[in-house]
Amino acid sequence: MKLAIKALLFNFCLWWAAMPSLEAADKSFQSVEITIKTISASKQGNEFDPQLAALEKQLKALNYGSYRLLKQETQTARWQGNANFQIPGGRMLTVRPQEVNNDQLGLRVQLKQGDKPQLETTVRLNNRGNFILGGPRHDNGVLVLSISATAR
Amino acid sequence: MSTCEVIRESLGAWLDGELSGAAADTVRSHLQTCLACGQERRQLEKLDITLKSVLEAQTIPFHAESIWHALRQRIETKRPWYVEVAAWTGPVLRSPSFAWGVPAVIVLLLGTIYLDSILPGWNSGSPRDNFAAVESIDAYGRNVALLREYETKTTVIWLYQNPDSESEASGETSNKGPAF
Amino acid sequence: MAEVSDWALVEKCQAGDMSAFQELISRYQQKIYMVILGLLRNREDTLEVAQEAFFRAYRKINSFQGGSSFYTWLYRIAVNVAIDAQRRQKRNPLEFRESMDGIMEERNEVAKDPSADVHDKELRAKLNQAINELSPDHRAVIVLRTLEGLSYKEIGETLGCSEGTVMSRLHYARKKLQEKLRAFL
Repeated sequence: MKLAIKALLFNFCLWWAAMPSLEAADKSFQSVEITIKTISASKQGNEFDPQLAALEKQLKALNYGSYRLLKQETQTARWQGNANFQIPGGRMLTVRPQEVNNDQLGLRVQLKQGDKPQLETTVRLNNRGNFILGGPRHDNGVLVLSISATAR
Repeated sequence: MSTCEVIRESLGAWLDGELSGAAADTVRSHLQTCLACGQERRQLEKLDITLKSVLEAQTIPFHAESIWHALRQRIETKRPWYVEVAAWTGPVLRSPSFAWGVPAVIVLLLGTIYLDSILPGWNSGSPRDNFAAVESIDAYGRNVALLREYETKTTVIWLYQNPDSESEASGETSNKGPAF
Repeated sequence: MAEVSDWALVEKCQAGDMSAFQELISRYQQKIYMVILGLLRNREDTLEVAQEAFFRAYRKINSFQGGSSFYTWLYRIAVNVAIDAQRRQKRNPLEFRESMDGIMEERNEVAKDPSADVHDKELRAKLNQAINELSPDHRAVIVLRTLEGLSYKEIGETLGCSEGTVMSRLHYARKKLQEKLRAFL
């Protein structure tokens, strides 16, 4: 019995030691999958769209009353390539994956209304992580964009 | 299985005094009536006596001094670390359990790779550090706030609309942004 | 003077007293030697294996907590080492080493047993051969029961198996020996 336990422990150590190599071996990311959730936030009402359950804590921290998912879109972009997302109100969000380093992605993000740029930012976030871009007016509230990226 | 076959299976244990109670009584009373099993008993007893005599014939004086001297030397000699590791892993590597463990490790690794492909972030646990670092920002003259929400570890970029913004007019008071 | 108990000696040994270990070994070395010899059937391997068994016992002395008697614990180590050695024996064990037949011849001469007739000698030789043909596990139960007189429970503790397994192995081993010696018994 002790021998069996020793053997299992030994094999578990082998598996655990191999895990970082798994990640290291996966460094040949070919593209980035970008997901934009376009959300309407308003101080009126207190409905929370169940489709936004995964972002509930993040969104409720913004202290609006109600949240509604307007659109969710996913696009795949190659490195230095652009992914363009239509945003309500005649806006366009462009995301360009620039690099990956230590499981962190560098993204260049631009928001335009028509042909007028409203915001341009360079962000470094964890692979499979997200950040929030909010503020543009929409209906009786504001738009909140959840921008997430996964390198593949 | 016949009664005699059952009795013969227990005969050795009965002769060794390992049976008791009803089991022992059953064997004893059967032997009183069955000639074949009685013969089997005598053969076993003779085998036992001869076996004992053969094994005891090995009684040779054992000279302990030389073995103790070598043993003591061995105990007092400190083994290099790699010999200790080899001594520990040797039985493990020869163990049949190890043979099962190797394919199990391979299956685990393959399972991890598969899970990673269908559920990215499954092993990231919660909450991991989700903060994004904003390296540069240009709001083209608009007010912008960079906020960190610590409970969810989320970075928020908040773009404030200018008072004379050309965007949709609304009855809503001006956008004051998130309250935190 | 009352003899110091095995457990008291073990405690001294666990505290680093080498002489306590030597005393423990001296109490059981003959028995251990005989058991290993019964299993391996040649003297040279027995000395080597006995030394290895005592060495392992020393290395593991801190793990002995008194759950079984010391001699059962020591037996277990010695029998395991001997069974491992038996399994590693690839060559015919009686050809190049001093065989048990040779030892028995020597013993008979020393004993000057005039009543050892031809039939008896043949039976012993056949039995010796039959014992050598048993597997390590079956040989172990035969030696521990016949030579050491251990109970099934003690044999089970020594070999790390149940009493039922001991009983079944003994039955099988005796049956095999009987088959080979049918003409003599």
